[in-house]
Amino acid sequence: MKTENKPRQHGKMPILIGVSFVIPALMLFSVFILYPLTTALSYSFFSWKGTLRGDFTGLANYVTVFTKAPFDEALPNAFSHNLLLFAGAMVFQNSIGLALAVVLHKIGRVKRLFQTLFTLPYLVSPLVVGYLWSLMLSPLFGPVNATLRQIGLGEFAQPWLGDPTTAIWAIVFITAWQWIGFPMLLYGAALGGIPEEISEAAEIDGASGQKKFRLVTFPLLLPALGTVSILTFIGAMESFPIPYAVGGSTGSPAGATDVMALLFYRTAFESGDVGSIGTSSALAMLLFLFIFGVAVALRTSLARAERKLYD
Amino acid sequence: MRKRISALGLIGVAALVLAGCAPAADETAEEATTSASATAEAVDPVTLTMWSWRTEDVEKYNTIFDVYEAANPGVTVEFEAFLNTEYNQLLATGLEGSDGPDLAMVRAYGGVQALIEAGQLLPIDGLVDTSSVEQSLLAAATGRTDGSLYGVPFATQTLQMFYNKGIFDELGVTEPTTWDEFIALNEAIDAGGYTPMALGAKDSWMLPIFHEIVGAARYGGPEFRDELLAGTSDFTDADYVASIQIVNDMTEYMVDDVIGVAYADSQIQFTAGTAAQFPGGSFELGNFTTQAPDMELGVYLVPTPPNSVSDKPLAAGWADGSFAINAKGENQEAALNLLNWLATEEFGQLFVDEVKQFSAIKGLTYTDPVMKEMNELFASGPTAYINLVDMRYGDPSGSTLIGEGIQSMFLGDMNATGVSTKLQDGVATWFTPGA
Amino acid sequence: MRKFSILKAPKHVLLWIYALVSLSPLVIMVMNSFRTTQQMATDPLGLPEGINFGSYQKAWITASFETYFLNSMFVTITSVFIGTAVSLMAAYVFARSKRRVFAILEGLFLSGLLLPVFLAILPIFYLFDALGLISNLWGLIAVYSALSIPFSSFILAAFFRQLPIDLEEAARIDGAGYFRTFFSILLPLVRPAIATVVVFRFVPIWNDFFYPLMLMRDRAAYTLPVGLTRFFGEYQTDWATLFAGLTITTIPLVILFLVASKQLVSGLTAGMSK
Repeated sequence: MKTENKPRQHGKMPILIGVSFVIPALMLFSVFILYPLTTALSYSFFSWKGTLRGDFTGLANYVTVFTKAPFDEALPNAFSHNLLLFAGAMVFQNSIGLALAVVLHKIGRVKRLFQTLFTLPYLVSPLVVGYLWSLMLSPLFGPVNATLRQIGLGEFAQPWLGDPTTAIWAIVFITAWQWIGFPMLLYGAALGGIPEEISEAAEIDGASGQKKFRLVTFPLLLPALGTVSILTFIGAMESFPIPYAVGGSTGSPAGATDVMALLFYRTAFESGDVGSIGTSSALAMLLFLFIFGVAVALRTSLARAERKLYD
Repeated sequence: MRKRISALGLIGVAALVLAGCAPAADETAEEATTSASATAEAVDPVTLTMWSWRTEDVEKYNTIFDVYEAANPGVTVEFEAFLNTEYNQLLATGLEGSDGPDLAMVRAYGGVQALIEAGQLLPIDGLVDTSSVEQSLLAAATGRTDGSLYGVPFATQTLQMFYNKGIFDELGVTEPTTWDEFIALNEAIDAGGYTPMALGAKDSWMLPIFHEIVGAARYGGPEFRDELLAGTSDFTDADYVASIQIVNDMTEYMVDDVIGVAYADSQIQFTAGTAAQFPGGSFELGNFTTQAPDMELGVYLVPTPPNSVSDKPLAAGWADGSFAINAKGENQEAALNLLNWLATEEFGQLFVDEVKQFSAIKGLTYTDPVMKEMNELFASGPTAYINLVDMRYGDPSGSTLIGEGIQSMFLGDMNATGVSTKLQDGVATWFTPGA
Repeated sequence: MRKFSILKAPKHVLLWIYALVSLSPLVIMVMNSFRTTQQMATDPLGLPEGINFGSYQKAWITASFETYFLNSMFVTITSVFIGTAVSLMAAYVFARSKRRVFAILEGLFLSGLLLPVFLAILPIFYLFDALGLISNLWGLIAVYSALSIPFSSFILAAFFRQLPIDLEEAARIDGAGYFRTFFSILLPLVRPAIATVVVFRFVPIWNDFFYPLMLMRDRAAYTLPVGLTRFFGEYQTDWATLFAGLTITTIPLVILFLVASKQLVSGLTAGMSK
């Protein structure tokens, strides 16, 4: 096209070019994600007998999910745990991930070694993460308690996964153990993207160490921070493999590790109620709306903050 | 001439397979003979697929089905097992799709209702002779709303106390016959440096099992169940509450922080020889004999606690699954033949010998000494594992409620009355007695 | 600079302590692959008595691991390739165009991360059944590629946005079209992002057991994780063979990560030099 030879202004990509770049992804997405997603969420408006769909029931399933046992207690309980997982992940996973990225950035030759060692947990199949950690944290056979006793910190040896107060934090820790590579690598890549000149210029101006980090590095990392935060939020709200493996589908002990995805799972698959597809998809829809809403809000406010920084 | 011989051959095979079956099967035999003489062709080779969640039994079932295949030339049975935790979903979608199995193992009681109400299973009233099956277990495969039978139960489980004979001999103790002896036994084991009982309290599903083992006699087993189902009593009954209290009292004889012990850990405690006793289901037998082949196993029923409603120790039991036929399957005739065979003593005995679990078929012989003893114990005081058998037809299920409740009790957040109230209130949302 | 070596010491110590925490469950996994399930039943954390490859043999031969390994390779590599390729193209547009429609599309793609997997398997199953894709590896590839789009397009768009616009404008002044600019100039610059995306998509796809379990009913179409599920029984698990199978499953991921992390480092230096 003739237009290709004229210099284009920032953002005025011809619509045809834009569409042609996006079409392949859009097609795959529509068939294999959008269609199943909308279909699955629509299940919540019907009554069900096993996999046989019954009559349209409007919001009846939603009313059930907010008012009937076991949902009336389980829903807020599970939801609060998800929020806790998010807070925990932001504090432990992302902050430590950032710290590791910063430390490794300067560390030279052993950087790749540590990057690999810290990301290796991510490679372990979800089928056995729970089992391995149950073993590690077992009050009878686990090395964690055994080590604590050996080094004289015996009073700290708890039934980590059996005590309601520690169990949920055990999940935060295990999740961080598995995922720390993600923020670490992403921040590492972002740090690498900061041109040397800016870094050196700041040092010449007298800012170094903490000050440089606060005034120069951190603001430049904001986009990466935003990306990581949104993905962490979504991950925390949808957390399933680790709570399931550690606390079982009921969120043992006594619902202390129950999360929305577990509530959904046992409603859909372990419930004696034949209409469970309806109620579980109502749960899925509620979760979807909440996460979607927050994610969009986060993104818009981050985009606004970014624009302020760069304008 | 050849056609006549093959027709006769088919009749012969059909007769062999259906020999000893009750009247209902004669219809199928007649059908087979008429269709054989009508089409006058040799038997078309048929492959029947059966799905299951018993990945650990695949080879054993292949051996069992070899027997059926030998007696039914032309029929091949393919047994496939899938991950237990996703099996329900797999089966529900598989039965809907075009490539589903001809037969499948289905869950018992509440667990099968979704499949039944979606019309995915073939009703087998009148099509299968179930006279050899323990009749009380047929409830496991019966539709709750229409009362039709949809499957043949294949396994039963019983609950009892396993113990390590070697440790008992070492400490000079024997099986208790009274409650006081039971307590003294546990004290002696504790003094001897072993953990008296291994329990995985972190996995809440073990807790209602433990409750039945130590408390069934206290709340009165079968009598209580009748009253519960009729509506003249409920879980807040004083004797039931007392049975839950016993569970709490027993934690004295377990490790500290038993709430942190996983089910797998508790099994290791027993197989590694650090715990002397393991309150559990008959399904543990396979695991114990594989992991600790040198251990001599004993079983007994926990004696009746003081003030028990029942005058003898009780063993809770239930059907653990059934064989059912895909309503959309293409080989239903052949599948029905197989299902009929699965309801016979021949299959039951093979099942017992190969899979080493209790069959739902009556009158079988158990050669394994431990199985024999478990069977005798069950016969001496049978009762139903109520929270599984009757309380899983809705959400929340009885077993989940009482499991969580007992966990809260162990943590000190709830007392026995609280647990029984939690259980009663929860099931009351969907359970209507007198049905 | 001499100051640094003293300050480095505690940092290194902490790093190694955490590395120990990081690795211990993995070490247990590998150690146990050399023991028997019986040994694990009596002494869960004991050391292996000599290197015993019995479980590995059992996993590889008896459990048809060779077939599953090849299937996993085929499915994962193809899915990651397709997923990354289409996401790269979409991400470019999301980053560079200010049109509202693309902003909406970007949000829509992100919402794909919220797909309730256990529920959506029902419509996906029926769709596959209708299309005849059950037990067809291409069906898995299609699903995995689509599932990669939300995460990959999100990350890649973020990285594209970070790139200064001058390079592209210079290229356009020189007469290069959008496609050329994309391939020759931008792609090399986002190599660290591509490496990140590849690793974080390859691993979950490789390890996923749910989709193949539900959609691949024919054993010849099984992938490694589904093969692993066959060692999980209802009440008994064949831990020894499982851990051997797991170690086999994890090794390619380690190799992949080592290769990708090299890309990450070299990509960074390339991006900085102008």
